[in-house]
Amino acid sequence: MVGRLVDASNVWARDTFSRGNWRLILFCYIVLAPVLALFGYVRMGPIVSSLVLSFHKWDLINPIKPFIGWSNYAELLEDDNFWLSLKNTAIYALLTVTLSTLLAVPLAVFLAAKSRLSAVYQTIYFLPVITPMVPMSIAWKWIYDYNHGILNYVLSLIGIPAVAWLTDPGIALYALIIMGVWKVIGYNMILLLVGIRNIPSTYVEAAAIDGAGGWQRFRYVTLPLLKPILLYVLVTSSINAFNVFTQVYVMTLGSQSAPGQAVRVLVFDIYQNAFQYFRFGYASAEAVMLTMIVLGFTLIQFRIARNKEGQDG
Amino acid sequence: MRTRKSKSVGIDRRAALKVAAGAGIAAAGGVAFSRKARAATTLTIWTGFPELVPYYKSVADAYAKTKPDVTVTLLSSSLREMEQKLSAAIPTGTGPDIFDIGSGISIKFIEAGLLDPNPADVDTYLKSGAWNKFTVDWFTQKGKTHGLPLLEGRAAMFYNKAMFKEAGVANPPTTFGELMEAAKKITKFDATGKMTRAGISMRLSGQGSGITEKFRMVLEPAGGQLIRQTASGKWHNGFDNDAGRKALQFYVDVVQKDKVDDPKIPHDADAFANQHAAMLFREAWVIGEIKKKNPSLDYGVVPIPRWDASSPYKGIVQPWGMYVNGKSRQKPASWDFVKFLTQPQNAYQLTAMTGWVSRREGVDWGPLLKETPQFEVFVKPPANIELFADPILGPWDEIQTRIADRLPGMFIDPALNNNPAKVAEAVKSLATIADNILKQAGIYGTT
Repeated sequence: MVGRLVDASNVWARDTFSRGNWRLILFCYIVLAPVLALFGYVRMGPIVSSLVLSFHKWDLINPIKPFIGWSNYAELLEDDNFWLSLKNTAIYALLTVTLSTLLAVPLAVFLAAKSRLSAVYQTIYFLPVITPMVPMSIAWKWIYDYNHGILNYVLSLIGIPAVAWLTDPGIALYALIIMGVWKVIGYNMILLLVGIRNIPSTYVEAAAIDGAGGWQRFRYVTLPLLKPILLYVLVTSSINAFNVFTQVYVMTLGSQSAPGQAVRVLVFDIYQNAFQYFRFGYASAEAVMLTMIVLGFTLIQFRIARNKEGQDG
Repeated sequence: MRTRKSKSVGIDRRAALKVAAGAGIAAAGGVAFSRKARAATTLTIWTGFPELVPYYKSVADAYAKTKPDVTVTLLSSSLREMEQKLSAAIPTGTGPDIFDIGSGISIKFIEAGLLDPNPADVDTYLKSGAWNKFTVDWFTQKGKTHGLPLLEGRAAMFYNKAMFKEAGVANPPTTFGELMEAAKKITKFDATGKMTRAGISMRLSGQGSGITEKFRMVLEPAGGQLIRQTASGKWHNGFDNDAGRKALQFYVDVVQKDKVDDPKIPHDADAFANQHAAMLFREAWVIGEIKKKNPSLDYGVVPIPRWDASSPYKGIVQPWGMYVNGKSRQKPASWDFVKFLTQPQNAYQLTAMTGWVSRREGVDWGPLLKETPQFEVFVKPPANIELFADPILGPWDEIQTRIADRLPGMFIDPALNNNPAKVAEAVKSLATIADNILKQAGIYGTT
């Protein structure tokens, strides 16, 4: 069926272009033009502006923006805060993406089984995804409270002493990671669930007839067919994880909060350089670096997935 | 079908035209009505202090009694957001007529030519004796004045009288040595060794310039300054010295050696109001917080102690100004309102309504002090306190914030406990941060 559709689309494309049906092509572009223009203005414009700004010195207020070449980038490479935030962001992204994906897979497999309560569980796991980040971060700040937080209370019931989740510099980042995993696990689970449900049951049934057990069916049938969705989950989760900001901002506000350095992440550092120190050129250089890093990771993930696909194929 | 559709379209068009015409007439009428009803002048004020909104409204109402043709509209947001809004709006000519802001931003507007020097009558008014010399000097840049003083952030020491009495401490401390001794007596722990009451609530965690600002409340009495100006007008760090080491050592001792505060327990005004801490260095607005949260609290407010008996008292002062946008089309009306806003009766109202203190001279504070004697140290501070303020420099906030990034880690670093060499090393690293920022800004110098 899929093969037939592919053939049909090829035939349509060949016929359309070979007949020189440019009016249709022109129509398509005209219809797309407003959306493309809007996309260019709203999405691409700021990216290009940031790139240009990264070679200038500008404080937002002064109309003069001297061109300073690569100076912002050179300074960035010697900035301890940049390296610290890069390290923290990398740890956050690595652990959040890995844990949220690893936990979402068994959840999705479990919920894919037909059950009356499946929809209820899906809703429960998805709730954190739709909850706005600011109130959620404030709620987690209370949960993590050293003296009155529910987490330390629960730990005390099993004899574990209170943990300074937010104020201990060695723990604060991991507290954010726990919250980050909790936030995205539902989203990853839903995507994987859709992927699992789209796997034709004939493959799984054939494997069962061949004598494959539950684990073998998952390992050799479900997992390989789930790879495109897994790749999507990994890429989107990584992009989101590298852009972590709101929870860091909220959890470092006030006197009873996480030490800024312990949870300094790239977007927070960019925000501080831009909107607190008004060093927009420098912050733009940092934003360009972040974009390159995320782009690099995404390409690596695609390359690994393709290589695997090639090997499996 | 087609006929019906066409008919239907025709009806819709007619209906739409009628609606449009009606709306147009209504709108025109509305505009005319509102023009008739609306005052001739509308002044917009932006404030980074949402708690001042009722005060501004009250003053605007009073102003409207004498100037009924002037109305005032207000926009408030958090201070940080307001700094961003103003920084984007003022240069592009979309800002308000009047705004309140700190020196970190106002100096950038002044340097970029976005704020005009005060008109002659406002300049005369500022220098008329309505404010003390310290405040007037603070609003003077290169011989020209900009803006008028609105309020003043002045810190003092809040102390819990009941806790002092319970611990057998007769009087509030007057030196940092006495402070530590009192704090040790007052601090309490539970059976597991967990601190339940801090002797003093210091700013130990979080992020932002506030951490360094509080650090300066110890550094300055110890004899240091975060940055120091040279005779040639350049700047360099002023704490890579004995004073800086004493100040950091004090914090380390508070947390590690003498254990009179702990980052893990509640802090700041909340902690003081709820009796989790016996002492706190803070501004007058805490009085309002206490009134709301624990009105029966038995507390006093005194100047922040001096370092030792031979040192002077030091007091941090942060004047905040009202400015008229250089691109405002209603400058005379705006200045007139700002002058009205800073009249003694309104200065009194500011403190009474918000807890923020005006340093306007000629205010009768009697009724306020009768009701809340704790205000005394803020509105009638002792003359022997040496005042210090934030230097008016573009990179000042960055210096404070970048140092604040490092301080919480140092306060709890075990390597600094009872280790003067490590403390000195830590202070040097902080001083390097300050000097590097000054170098980047091109204002570093030691001579």
